[in-house]
Amino acid sequence: MTVGTAIGVVVGILILATIVGVVLRHRTGRARSAGGTTRTSRLRADDLASASGYGAAATLVQFSTPTCARCPATRRLLDAVAGQHEGVRRIEIDLAEHPELARRFDVMQTPTVLLLDADRAIRTRFGGPPRPPELTAALDAVLTAGSTVATRSTGTPGTTGTQESR
Amino acid sequence: MTTTNDTDRGIDPRSPRFGAAITTVLLAATIVLTLIPETWVAGIVLLAVIVVLFAVGGIAGIRRHPYGALFRRVVRPRLAPPAELEAPEPPTFAQQVGLFVTAVALLLALLGVPYAAPIGAAVALVAAFLNAVFDVCIGCLLYVWLVRAGVFRPRRGVA
Repeated sequence: MTVGTAIGVVVGILILATIVGVVLRHRTGRARSAGGTTRTSRLRADDLASASGYGAAATLVQFSTPTCARCPATRRLLDAVAGQHEGVRRIEIDLAEHPELARRFDVMQTPTVLLLDADRAIRTRFGGPPRPPELTAALDAVLTAGSTVATRSTGTPGTTGTQESR
Repeated sequence: MTTTNDTDRGIDPRSPRFGAAITTVLLAATIVLTLIPETWVAGIVLLAVIVVLFAVGGIAGIRRHPYGALFRRVVRPRLAPPAELEAPEPPTFAQQVGLFVTAVALLLALLGVPYAAPIGAAVALVAAFLNAVFDVCIGCLLYVWLVRAGVFRPRRGVA
């Protein structure tokens, strides 16, 4: 192989790696709706901690590993967000201790953060450190819908549907 | 897994990325050298040097890596203090992954497997490049996938 071809191979590998890097960076930390628009169709996560570990209004579940570089910073972010909102708590799970949960919740990277509503149903998931604006928006959506349900518990489901569908 | 005695002291997160940038250049040179028959031996020697460097970082810990010392002496004085420190375990694990990949490539190359050296170096190059340029830790993703696959047994009592 000539020098030119060999350098071309390296340049090709670096172009491929750049594409992978751009895609990963674009996707990381974005809010993804967990699907399920009705109360019964949502995947629940109500056995991850004792009842006192969950927030009355919402819970942030962080999946971590010992080799996760971003997990400590994500822990601080979630603690700060939880501290700013009444009834919001954070649960952290070390996947090295509970590998079965990685399969059950389809965790492909750490940190992965699940946002649970008051029913402990998964509403939003973040792969990678959550982007603060998207985390705040997702949490506000859950808290707003939750308070609407609480104050209008006898109202028709349609009144809260527009807020929940986000 | 490696255990370090002074886990309470974090490292500057820019230090492993600085090291990954040097590793990227060395691995790129390894690929070029091992693809050209006339310089194959030089490429294998360079790959062996990279294996030794990964071994230092992966076995002795990232804090004892020569690139870390270089970073502290040459680069860090020119930068602002880090916004926050990171745990040394993740980059140390990344070094172990790099050690595994490059050591297997070196061994296969010495056993006469064609293109083992450039292919192994290419795998490590992608990981080092993503770490240096995009701050993406492929080793950290790999660890999660290994946990999912049940390769690691559950660890109890981890601090």
